[in-house]
Amino acid sequence: MRTLYLLLLSMAVSGLPAQLVFPAEIDAPEDYAPVEEVMPPSPLRLQTLFIGGIDLVQTTATYGNDANQTNAKEWHDFIGFTPDTTTESLGWISVNHESIYRDDRIGDGGGMTVFRVERDEESGDLNILDQNLEDGRAGKFFNVDFVNTVGETGMNCGGISSIVDGRIWTAEEWFRDDNASINYGNFSNYNQYDPAPVSYPSAVGFDENSVGSGINQGVRDLRPFPVDAPEFPFIDGDTIAKYENFNWMVEIDPRQAKAVRKQYNWGRQGFEGGVVSADNKYIYLGVDATPAFFLRFEADTPGDFTQGTLSVYKHDAEEKWVELNNNSARNVLNLDSLSIEAGATMFNRNEWVAIDPTTGIVYWTETGRDYPAGAWRDEAEAGAVVAPHHAARAAAQGENITALSDEYWDYYGRVMQYDPETEEISVKIEGGPYFNESPSQTNYPDKHLSNPDGLNVMTIDEQQFLVICEDLNGETFGRMPAENGSGGSGVRNRMCELYLLPITDGTATVDDLIRITVTPVGAEITGAIPTPDGKSLLVNSQHPSSENPFPYNHSLTFAIHGFDELTTTSLLPPSGVDEAVGLEIYPNPTLQTVFLNRRQDVALYNQTGQRLRVFRNVTQIDVSDLPSGAYYLRSDEGQLVKLIKH
Amino acid sequence: MLASFIPSRYLLFSFATALFLWRVVAIGDPFSDQGLTTALETVNEQFHQDLATFAAEVAAYRDLAERDAPRHKLQEQHLRTRAAFKRCEYLLEYLEPVTVRRHLNGAPLPKTEPKVPEIRVIEPVGLQVLDELVFAPEADPAEIQGQLGKLSVASEQVLTYYGNIQLQHRFIFEAAREEAVRIFTLGVTGFDTPGSGAAIGEALTALRTLDAAMAGYLPYIAERDTAVARELRDAFHHGTSLLERGEFETFDRLELLRKSINPLTRYLPAAQRLLDIESAQDNPRLSHPVNANAHSLFSADFLNPDYYARTEAGPLDDRRLALGELLFFDPVLSKDLRLSCASCHDPKLAFTDGKRKSFVRNAPTLINSVYADRYFYDLREEFLDRQIRHVVVDSLEFATDFTDIAERLNQSGTYRKLFAEAYGDQPRYQLSAWSISDALARYVQNLTALDSPFDRYARGETDELAPRVREGFNLFMGKAVCGTCHFAPTFSGLVPPFYTENETEVLGIPDSFTVSQARLDPDPGRIRSGRPEDEVYFQAFAFKTPTVRNVQATAPYMHNGVYQDLYQVVDFYNRGGGKGIGIHLEHQTLPFDSLGLDADEMDAIVHFMEALTDYERLDSRPDHLPTFEKRPEWNDRYRTPAPVIKAANETTGD
Repeated sequence: MRTLYLLLLSMAVSGLPAQLVFPAEIDAPEDYAPVEEVMPPSPLRLQTLFIGGIDLVQTTATYGNDANQTNAKEWHDFIGFTPDTTTESLGWISVNHESIYRDDRIGDGGGMTVFRVERDEESGDLNILDQNLEDGRAGKFFNVDFVNTVGETGMNCGGISSIVDGRIWTAEEWFRDDNASINYGNFSNYNQYDPAPVSYPSAVGFDENSVGSGINQGVRDLRPFPVDAPEFPFIDGDTIAKYENFNWMVEIDPRQAKAVRKQYNWGRQGFEGGVVSADNKYIYLGVDATPAFFLRFEADTPGDFTQGTLSVYKHDAEEKWVELNNNSARNVLNLDSLSIEAGATMFNRNEWVAIDPTTGIVYWTETGRDYPAGAWRDEAEAGAVVAPHHAARAAAQGENITALSDEYWDYYGRVMQYDPETEEISVKIEGGPYFNESPSQTNYPDKHLSNPDGLNVMTIDEQQFLVICEDLNGETFGRMPAENGSGGSGVRNRMCELYLLPITDGTATVDDLIRITVTPVGAEITGAIPTPDGKSLLVNSQHPSSENPFPYNHSLTFAIHGFDELTTTSLLPPSGVDEAVGLEIYPNPTLQTVFLNRRQDVALYNQTGQRLRVFRNVTQIDVSDLPSGAYYLRSDEGQLVKLIKH
Repeated sequence: MLASFIPSRYLLFSFATALFLWRVVAIGDPFSDQGLTTALETVNEQFHQDLATFAAEVAAYRDLAERDAPRHKLQEQHLRTRAAFKRCEYLLEYLEPVTVRRHLNGAPLPKTEPKVPEIRVIEPVGLQVLDELVFAPEADPAEIQGQLGKLSVASEQVLTYYGNIQLQHRFIFEAAREEAVRIFTLGVTGFDTPGSGAAIGEALTALRTLDAAMAGYLPYIAERDTAVARELRDAFHHGTSLLERGEFETFDRLELLRKSINPLTRYLPAAQRLLDIESAQDNPRLSHPVNANAHSLFSADFLNPDYYARTEAGPLDDRRLALGELLFFDPVLSKDLRLSCASCHDPKLAFTDGKRKSFVRNAPTLINSVYADRYFYDLREEFLDRQIRHVVVDSLEFATDFTDIAERLNQSGTYRKLFAEAYGDQPRYQLSAWSISDALARYVQNLTALDSPFDRYARGETDELAPRVREGFNLFMGKAVCGTCHFAPTFSGLVPPFYTENETEVLGIPDSFTVSQARLDPDPGRIRSGRPEDEVYFQAFAFKTPTVRNVQATAPYMHNGVYQDLYQVVDFYNRGGGKGIGIHLEHQTLPFDSLGLDADEMDAIVHFMEALTDYERLDSRPDHLPTFEKRPEWNDRYRTPAPVIKAANETTGD
């Protein structure tokens, strides 16, 4: 045996990429007591709060139906938190439903669900409280009434949860160009390809009888929409096409579960997210489009966001913020053309926006899109300018490549930052990494940041962290490491990750990311927002996965408790590691990760010596989904260590 | 509390026994590890070399096209380039299937850009598109050059990214098994060679590549089990010799299956286990569509229903299933107590109803319907357990909602008890939208039947198969190209070899039976699925490709039930679909004008489809339904005949 060991060792040393197999079974140790390491349970734990499609929401009288209750909508995305200023509870949680689907009681389109929670002093859980609303509804979960207030909404994805006072706005993504696109009734983009159009069912204009029928999946009431918004005289009393009443930021009152206003004065865009500055004066807005423009609303009076000026960011101007005239219906309905005229800076799909209250720095995710050039070339010709980091990236990709070349790629996206002091933008962390040459195994990254989407700021152990949720928009060119190959191994769900990034000065790299593995396997995580007491992170799982039993296979809002018990060091890899030969392990309970002393192949065995998994070329192993018990890790040199997981 | 938790607490000191080795139990010579490493290295180097060759062939191809080389030169270079691709195919598809699909050898159909909040059409790129272009009667040089420009960028990028990757043993075995399935389901059917017809030769190249990759491993497999090594050697030998003498129209695909593909799908994973090589399926928390332990792609357990239905096995499964069966047959779910799921999905007719349209579309069979990544003719629903919701709320169908249904079921002591027994582990949701949907989904999930006379022959369990059926199968998978959309083994649009995605097709279905001057059926299909990303011109009149299993019992056919018998269906395709009967859809997806089948050939195809019959053993229903103590008027509900269904022009549920 010793001979074998030496032989294998010499192969490794000589650089031959010996890839050894691990026996499927090994003898359970008898007289030999391997080094034993204990991994305590994670201080983080999950609590289910709200299950989409299953939990019942209290509804108002809608479309001629009486107030009642029905199953909530699904496809959870953004979460807002409104702190309670009294001691009666912790606050109100608002959940977006990113869909556009008919519903006789909640109302067509997307929607929101709100509920009120208190912290259970004993268990630390969040209890959902019974409420009686002014409109007479009583219960635990309430749909936000849009239909009878400001009109239906659609594809409610991101939003704003004010750091000042918990005011909530919901954003309507997926920009609408005609009534058909909110109704799925006819197909304007079909005819141009059809030399001899045939008759097919056309959009059903509003028909009292169509409500309640199966006809049309989307928004059924397509009558022209009379705007009733005295706060905004430039549009009040106008009648706009129904689809034009979509794609606004919409403020809601989570306490009374009703919409307050569509923010006509911020313009009509495919909004995704936004923030309120700490002085309650500025709103920064993210738009999911290519090109996306970075917008700012400045309130005349702090806290009153009905009066003020709207500006767009232009990095190459003396005055970075160029004012847009938002005092006409025509202008707010066609905001993009104003931004282009202003020569504004173009981004590639801006998503969520977050703000660090300790510094006032604004962060946002620019999720990226494979080949953006075709989508912003016309705008560039009309005067808009490409953001400087895109110009730099394109130059790095080849001699004659610019951000307007078809070859220019932006696969992975990034997190951006804006400093209100200097009014400068910069890249906080670039996605990837991308390799100009195929990486050798030893250089392959443990972490890969692709298409960041959800974003927030959280305080842990008095340090500020960005909370980043991925939402992969492709599986090409390394976004899915071979280990997780979607086709090869048939894994359905793209492995979207939830990361923490310590906020420090300067640019961060993917090595600085800390993966949170406590979330359900394969679930696409979004909406992350901390509770004001810092104890919990609220998250949504939007795209359910088969690998998790009920309720984790549904659209779900859950809380991860225990963040107040974390220390910053508990989130870090071990220090003082001996990287010499051999296998040493460093279990980190917070991350439910076992760190290895050096990159190597290891196999995991159960207590009776049966091999469970093989991990190749790794420096760490995620054991979050292992049941508690005793395990052995074996190096390819045959060395064993015992891991007790509690 | 973790306040005292600091890194030094979990530092490990293992110097005491650092070099201790455990004995290896019951496994042969540990020195063979070294040989395995050599085998791996050989494949590794070959792969890197093949990637470089492929990129070089693409560059040469592009060069020829830009110099306006004569047509036959281009065609020769095209075939060389494809052959080079086929040598990397198994590993490239394993490592980056989406890159292959989108940039190298995907179907010649437009797609929309994924995950962007708008419709943006991506035109198809790659070798399949070129296969049609270069072999078309009128080649368009500019289009060919444009295609090659993009292909050369992609092949260079792939070489850059993967030209140095270190493969793992398991990649090779798993990729090889997938390739064996790909050769049978896509390769020899001509799926990716619509223009050149080079299918058989390319299948041979692909199989030889696998043979070469396994060569280094075979001695070590033989050390562990000589029989397994022999089976693999024979499979490669039989397969290559069949393909060497094969012609596309006459090739006996069943013989290839039984002599080569079946042993490969069975013994490649067996060899992987023998050599102690780990598997992608070791992680029990991730479910997989294809079962690594299934012997044949026609084995009943080849596809995992749990994966598709997104269920997880548990101790209450039997109770949930039994409850689902009751609900399936119970008209109490519908507002007027007259419709149950079985009204349109009658077990006696393989879970169809024999009508042209049940409401607005023809009721599809539920048998094997679980094997899909999306449900409904327009693929509008991703989740089997949410499929029921569409039926519940549709005004033409159950016309109610889950809160009303739950309220009703709660009035039956029997149902209350059954729900308590089946879903008692979730007290808050014991009788809810979830438990009702889950029970029904489990019943539908369980309606699988893959044991037709043809399956038994395909698996090698019997040597008896009617000659007409064999002939029909070879036409179905060859000359008639049915198998390039109705993929084996489900013979539906579930795409091999990953089986993770369903296809729809635009056929140009007429609104009534005629063979000339037909009018298009007005049902818009997938473009109106309610999914924003489907709202694009090429999804208009697109419908899910259904299974042809049990078609003997499921007449009439097509989403609108326009064809009364299978001969009419085959005749429709033989004429080139809608295009051949006067319906002109620019984006029709049938890649041919006419199949050139004679009456005898069409008859053989029908014979083959009729040999895919296996439904009668699923023909059962509960003896009686639960009673409602306080609602005596509900207790004879199942004797009330289903209402006469009025035809509607609008399209919603199925």
